[in-house]
Amino acid sequence: MKKFATVLLLISLSISLFAQGGAEAQGGAFSPSRDIEWTVTSSPGGGSDIYTRMISDLASKMDLVEKNFLINYKTDGGGEVGRLTVSRTKGDLANHSLLTFNSGDLMPMLKNTDNRIENFTPIAVMAVDKQLLYIGEYSQYTSFAEVLKAIEGGKSVVIAGSKGDDIATYEALIEELGINENQLSFITNDSTSAAITSILGGHVDLCMSKPAAASQYVLAGKLKPILALSQTRFAGNLSEAPTLSEVGNYKNVEVPVWRGIVGPKDMSPEAAAYYSAMAKSVSDSEAWKNDYILKNGLLSEFKGAEEAAAFMAAFQATYLKKIGK
Amino acid sequence: MDNLLMLMQGFTVVLTVQNILACLFGAFLGIIVGAMPGIGSLAGVALLLPLTYKFNPTTAIIMLGALYYSNMYGGSYSAILLNIPGDSPAIMTTLDGYPMATKRKRPGQALLTANMSSFIGGTIGMLILTFMGPALADIGLKFGPAEMTALLLVAMTSIGWLVGDNPVKGLLLTCLGILIAAMGMDTLSGVPRYDFGNIYLLGGVPFTPFVIGMVGFAQVIRLMGDRNKKTESKIEQNLTIKGSLLTLHDFRRLLPPAIRSGFLGTFVGVLPGAGATTGAFLGYATQKAFKNEEMLGTGAIEGIASCEAANNAAAAGAFAPLLALGIPGSGTGAVLLGGLMMWGLNPGPLLFTTNPEFAWGLIASLFIANILTLIIALGIIPFLIRILSVPIKLLIPIVSIICLVGSYSTTYSMYGVFVMLISGVFGYIFEKSGYSTAPMLLAFVLAPLLESNMRKAFIISQGSMDIFFDKPIALAFIIVLFLLILFPIVRFLLTKFGVLKKKIAK
Repeated sequence: MKKFATVLLLISLSISLFAQGGAEAQGGAFSPSRDIEWTVTSSPGGGSDIYTRMISDLASKMDLVEKNFLINYKTDGGGEVGRLTVSRTKGDLANHSLLTFNSGDLMPMLKNTDNRIENFTPIAVMAVDKQLLYIGEYSQYTSFAEVLKAIEGGKSVVIAGSKGDDIATYEALIEELGINENQLSFITNDSTSAAITSILGGHVDLCMSKPAAASQYVLAGKLKPILALSQTRFAGNLSEAPTLSEVGNYKNVEVPVWRGIVGPKDMSPEAAAYYSAMAKSVSDSEAWKNDYILKNGLLSEFKGAEEAAAFMAAFQATYLKKIGK
Repeated sequence: MDNLLMLMQGFTVVLTVQNILACLFGAFLGIIVGAMPGIGSLAGVALLLPLTYKFNPTTAIIMLGALYYSNMYGGSYSAILLNIPGDSPAIMTTLDGYPMATKRKRPGQALLTANMSSFIGGTIGMLILTFMGPALADIGLKFGPAEMTALLLVAMTSIGWLVGDNPVKGLLLTCLGILIAAMGMDTLSGVPRYDFGNIYLLGGVPFTPFVIGMVGFAQVIRLMGDRNKKTESKIEQNLTIKGSLLTLHDFRRLLPPAIRSGFLGTFVGVLPGAGATTGAFLGYATQKAFKNEEMLGTGAIEGIASCEAANNAAAAGAFAPLLALGIPGSGTGAVLLGGLMMWGLNPGPLLFTTNPEFAWGLIASLFIANILTLIIALGIIPFLIRILSVPIKLLIPIVSIICLVGSYSTTYSMYGVFVMLISGVFGYIFEKSGYSTAPMLLAFVLAPLLESNMRKAFIISQGSMDIFFDKPIALAFIIVLFLLILFPIVRFLLTKFGVLKKKIAK
């Protein structure tokens, strides 16, 4: 039982890291009266976890919130259990519950469950990410125009990418190009790093990644960007990659990947406004811009409660239509 | 010898009081976390990670590296003493470890065998990592979907060696394991399979509760049947460190399998997504082909040595792609990677060039953690084996609680507990009816890997089988596969026609 006690101690120690409540209360109609339960539906250490800790850490450091954040990881049912639990939270707890919610969470939720964005109170969209296509050292092609030519010539080309967002972008790409999934196939990997592994080994022709995951490999000359899946070119060492409209007579393909925060449906408008203001302050801080946005090659596109609600609803409508639900 | 110089420099980084203490703390915690079923290295590293944000990165990674590494030591304790694998690689350890501790009444020696082999395997892994880390990572990259499929087919086939006396029963449970593994979301398309409209089943059956139930809780139910039997104190003499020491003969027996598995395990650890479980399993399966003084599965030293050495070597090998390329070979690796980024380091192909003191410091700390863990392990073994003299009626509630906590802590929800209880009941029924559950558990681990790799290979080849024959590495494994399948048939035919002499039944 000593072992168990040690583990308990460890958990309580790690939680106490967030116990840095500020002194001043924020003005306005609502202010938290108890600790805030923040649910993350993926494992500790991953992208969503880092994002959540960054926000909660900054909110505490900047004395925006005087209560503590208790971060819960609920990964059951691919995260659906956690999302459902938050959506159904009622009463006072509803005003003290937050959920990290990304486009990559919304899509499987719409596809596999009956849970909808209407069951939540959108609070903010904090950042937007986009993808690029890369070639590796062993790729047979040097530009996306060559890839298209090869496909026209009857060859089949394989892209390796990650789950969720990447699949949506890939589907938008082949739709715009007017080709089928056998001509340009997509391999779903568990993570972007697994996709990069397969292109480094020369097992696939192309690889889809967001700027952050690939940046070290671009720097080392192991990967080279050949297509920006965005309306405009990227900056820095990714600027050489053209957008789709530059490659040929196509429209640009862009499926924004966003990271947001939502609360339960039962959250009061005052509470939503409070958390939205908190998120806005975090988003405006230098620390957020430098240590999160810049470091991960993201775009800072803050949307407050109302704007986020409209944005997420539109995203849901488009996606539902696409999967025919 | 450049690498050796760099390693020495690494040692100068590690050998500060602060870093050694961090290493010691990590190693100690790792053993504890590893010994607790359900709280594997993944949870251990994830729990400790937030604590380390305030440290300097080198100290932090030394602690986490030590924790991750020493975990592989602790995993064998509950496997040997309670027949509950502390983590998934330890499934193989239960096969010989538990019989050796109980039937052969040599618990101290069983634990020491496990830890000595872990030490040998780990040292081999680290030496290989030191001298050919980046090259090793490149070999790992050569293993694409086609090569992995071929390798996994070989692994799946060698499950046949574990099915025991009744191949039909073994095969049946292997298939059941594959079916259960298929539950949840399809790995490639995200389409739900066998979820029966249940939101929990969307995520599939979680591995740890499943194993704890099948092996550990089934054991509790069995103990309940024996509760009124007097514990004829099994181990009077061995309660001291002296009583647990290995004889020279024991040591001679463990050395060859440990060295073999050390090499094999390192290699498997380097492969993308294969992990320590596959390493331990292949180590054990390979041992079947060599001479063993006692039959494997009856408490043979060789059995424990082969899987424990492979398991630790794989843990060391997994650092090669992580450090040289920034590619995590396992879930734990992914969490470590997340940590690296939090500390402002950029893991990737440039890590060795941009942060050499960090990369080599980590490798040096693994060596130190290996030695520290062995010393800690030697110190606690005499206390550990007292567990076996606990009366059954006290053991039942204790083990039940360990099972409950372990299965709860996988996802921090009751779902894991239900999975554990249900699989425990089935595990007991299977065992009573003479089915061995090990093949099922291995099929459960290997089948999803095989499925996703095979499907990826077929996407690349547009559905053509040629991909397995065109690539030299894949072809080599396919040839091994056919040899494995054909060997018994050929032997049977030869025996039938009198070319070979019939083996005398045991």
